[in-house]
Amino acid sequence: MSEYRYVGRKRRTKEDRRFITGLGRYVADVTLPGMSHVALVLSPHPAARIGAIDTAAALALPGVQAVVTGAEIARHTNPILHGLALPGVRWYPLAVGQVRYVGEWVVAVVAASRHIAEDAAELVRVDYEPMAWVGDPEAALAPGAPLVHPDHGSNLFYRRTFVWGDVAGDFAKAHHRLASKVYWGRSATVPIETFGVVANWNRGNDLLDVWASIQMPKYPDQMAHCLRLPLNAIRVHYDVDVGGSYGVKRGIKHSVLVGYLARKLLMPVRLIEDRLENMVGGDMHGPDRRFDVTLAFDADGLIRSMKMRALDDIGCYPGRSPLQLAKPVGAIVGPYRIQSVEYEAVAVATNKTSQVAVRGFGQAPTNYAIETAIDRVAAHLGMDRLAVRRRNFIQSHEFPYRIPSGTDYDSGDYDAVLTKTVARAKLEALIARRDALRAEGRLAGIGFATCLEPSGGNGAFEPLFNPANDTTTWMESCQVKVDALGGVTATIATSTAGQGHQTLVATVTGEELGFDPDCIRVVHADSLQALPGNSPVASRMAIMLGGAAAGAARQIKERVLAIAAHNLQRPVDRLVYREGAVFDLDNELRTLNWAELVRIAHRKYHQMPPGMEPGLQASYVWEVPKGGTMPTADGRVQMYPCYSFECHIALVEIDRGTGQVAIRDWFMGHDCGTVINPDIVHGMSYGGIAHGIGAALYEEFAYDENGQLVAGSFVDYLLPSVHEIPEIALVDHCTPSPLTPMGQKGSGESGYLGAPAAVASAVNDALSPLGITIDRLPMHPSRIEQALADKRADMGEREGP
Amino acid sequence: MKAAEFAYARALSVADAVALLAAAAGEAKLIAGGQTLVPLMAMRLARPALLVDIDGIAELNGIAMVGDTLRIGAGTRQAEIERSGLVGREVRLLALAIGHVGHGQIRNRGTIGGSIAHGDPAAELPLVAVTLGATLLTETSAGAGEISARDFYLGPMTTTLPADALITRIDLPIWRGRVGAGFHEMSPRRGDFALAAAAAQVELDGRGRCRRAVIGVGGAAPTPIACADAARLLEGRTLDDTLIAAAASAAAALTEPASDSHGSAEYRRRLTAVLVARALKDAATMARAVP
Repeated sequence: MSEYRYVGRKRRTKEDRRFITGLGRYVADVTLPGMSHVALVLSPHPAARIGAIDTAAALALPGVQAVVTGAEIARHTNPILHGLALPGVRWYPLAVGQVRYVGEWVVAVVAASRHIAEDAAELVRVDYEPMAWVGDPEAALAPGAPLVHPDHGSNLFYRRTFVWGDVAGDFAKAHHRLASKVYWGRSATVPIETFGVVANWNRGNDLLDVWASIQMPKYPDQMAHCLRLPLNAIRVHYDVDVGGSYGVKRGIKHSVLVGYLARKLLMPVRLIEDRLENMVGGDMHGPDRRFDVTLAFDADGLIRSMKMRALDDIGCYPGRSPLQLAKPVGAIVGPYRIQSVEYEAVAVATNKTSQVAVRGFGQAPTNYAIETAIDRVAAHLGMDRLAVRRRNFIQSHEFPYRIPSGTDYDSGDYDAVLTKTVARAKLEALIARRDALRAEGRLAGIGFATCLEPSGGNGAFEPLFNPANDTTTWMESCQVKVDALGGVTATIATSTAGQGHQTLVATVTGEELGFDPDCIRVVHADSLQALPGNSPVASRMAIMLGGAAAGAARQIKERVLAIAAHNLQRPVDRLVYREGAVFDLDNELRTLNWAELVRIAHRKYHQMPPGMEPGLQASYVWEVPKGGTMPTADGRVQMYPCYSFECHIALVEIDRGTGQVAIRDWFMGHDCGTVINPDIVHGMSYGGIAHGIGAALYEEFAYDENGQLVAGSFVDYLLPSVHEIPEIALVDHCTPSPLTPMGQKGSGESGYLGAPAAVASAVNDALSPLGITIDRLPMHPSRIEQALADKRADMGEREGP
Repeated sequence: MKAAEFAYARALSVADAVALLAAAAGEAKLIAGGQTLVPLMAMRLARPALLVDIDGIAELNGIAMVGDTLRIGAGTRQAEIERSGLVGREVRLLALAIGHVGHGQIRNRGTIGGSIAHGDPAAELPLVAVTLGATLLTETSAGAGEISARDFYLGPMTTTLPADALITRIDLPIWRGRVGAGFHEMSPRRGDFALAAAAAQVELDGRGRCRRAVIGVGGAAPTPIACADAARLLEGRTLDDTLIAAAASAAAALTEPASDSHGSAEYRRRLTAVLVARALKDAATMARAVP
């Protein structure tokens, strides 16, 4: 059994009772006296010059407090920061001078209620002069293409070709090379809670109070920059429950707008996006990518080298989204021993809503491209798909393993996890079932995916893509305080979007101090009280917040031991700490219990070791392991520190008549090192697989030929429901990370990083007897049925005269 | 997504409701379960000046068999129809279709009259009404009337129901004998509106030949359509795969589907043929099982 008493044990999470009994407090639950409400006027055009804006009728409506345009915002705020240095690309909460996509916010209306604000928004008249626009990223790169940002002079926001290792040599040596092309459609994480923010300018203290549904590093810093305020004039309340995020809850334009309005109007202002504002103009879409992958490999399946071109349609404003092409550099070869890589990353602007970070920050599309290419190698060689994977897996004795792009993978045992999952799935029986279905004339297929989840996020992708950015610090923090009656309270520096940070911190702190986690209180600081942190992005909190909590708790133990050493007159190394008490190793009867130790710390300064700070508290700010290094000139970098592994096995069946895919069975093997709370990790994985199935089969922010988003509500943006998600079997494995206090790795993106690839693999396996491949996600039924119909027509023609 | 301003009146009887409608001069909208109207109002796609709430009118509720007719009050909840043994025994087609209407929570609120009056071309209940040739009983302040469901639909969400009229009851014909029904639809997820839907009901004679048949198609034209010519192909003949395929393609030929992000017109037309064939096969199998 595990060496841990609380870590890894199945224990009820601290948060469940609150959420299940309806006692969560979300941003929409924050109501302040005299609060006003914002509604927005959205652009109906993909590109147009803004002429006169007539706000008179809106302003005349009773209850309307202000009508604000982009021109006003631009006078009083600074543009929102981008991840790249892009001259001439200015991003404001409201469009200035021209609109650049359908749904872009043009005018904000503030009124006594959201109903009145919407009534007034309808009365705003905007003169538009439509301009040429571009929706296709390849077309956007063509000479003479309409420019999304004319002042920038190009739609190309980023392009760089990295060459790591002897790609030319390895290609020359290989027996075969095989090119594949895949397309990852535009989807996102779509939480039921849209983005919301409430702000209030506190006149007595010159302080902007902010409550927001936020998951974003450096959010207060960005607001301060845009609102031209000192950072300590903004107080973000991190104790707001965030109703889901997985990356998308950035809301910086929302927050700058509402912060500006609150200060201008001297009243509390709130903006809770409705679904339409969120999906059409909330800047919450994810990657939209075309991949060209060429693998160079030998007849025995050994893959020597890879060339990958990834072209991402990032939409209108860059934000941090082009960096989603950089993060996968840290796992660019997946779990495979590919010796050299050429990677061309291309970010292109189009007249669509902007991209934002989505679960995995670009890794899920990359994994889909790699896994599809691996399946094609197997088909080309007539080899078993898992045999090709095993042939190329990094072996357990090779860790730490440096991949060509300069990142060390910390630990893993890919072969063992796959073997365990194959056994649990009874793969031979599963194959027999598939073949029996095929014998009945049905289309059945088995899919595989084996891939990595980089975790513990540093921001190494920032200096990699933007030489002007030399940030290498990606710390997280925790304060642990023991009160005068011995109670333990931990304070964290971030809000929580369902990750269970209270459970995490209580479990780790409880483990270190030997106290039941149920007795440990965990609270969220506001941004003025908080120690520095970087928010729960990049599957980092089990590692980083867990590490910070462990660090702070260990300091508490050291202090307690020092107090005991002084009072028992024994050297510290002859004392031991157990569950709050300190014992003398040489005489177990000589002991000081927790109450006595706490009393000394808080009340008996005369018994304190000389020079020791009174009270019993500690804080710990932890830099990400292996952080603090800049990329090399040729673009090698240590990306995230810890690498979790997952492998998927899925059985699907396709309805020949309708093209509809039904998932019959799903197994996922998962190794994320030491698990802190199994229910939380499993929950992440179940949700991640469902999310991946959505991206693979259902969800797409499709635009039509007029640049209009046709999936702007849940009628057309299809989230899979409980009916579409199969029962999922999870197979746990643990290879501890050597870099973290308890061997933990990240798991917040688990399931999602491999599920889309596994669905695609299964669908293509089902279609393989017909010689059909589908290389585009989502695999809508109509796309599959069209391929079947085309095949029938093709066969009919060949059979004809 | 907040509704535009509207007035609200609660009708206590059918007479009360039609009086309110007459007074509103076309500016009123009836609300019963609200499962369609409320989201439309929230998106401001519907902006009635007055909502007349008929949800509590007892005389609009109930399911009863009178001779060869099943009478369903327009205000009857879809969930009640789903649970009704009478519907399950006497109008199998309706029993098969009703579970495809949204989700359980929606059927707990939604009413049969509301769905039929709204007239979404992809909705199940208008399709069943058209396929079976239901009679819609109506009421205005001037008196009672009736409309055949097959004459009711003009286009998407457009019907011949006058602005001052209320549907009070839906009368469905009960077929006796060796009767079978089939209902198939393709929706991207369970509970979604169908990209295409097919309904079929057949009666076999003692020798297993088709005595009469009806076929209906939804989601593939501006209104649900009854495919009388396709159904006529079946009469007097044995329902084998070849015949069913011929009827299915005859039905599909009648469709005028639109293209959208969920599928092209060609896809929906092929889908129609597939679904009609499946519905007919189910109907034939069910009918054959009747002694």
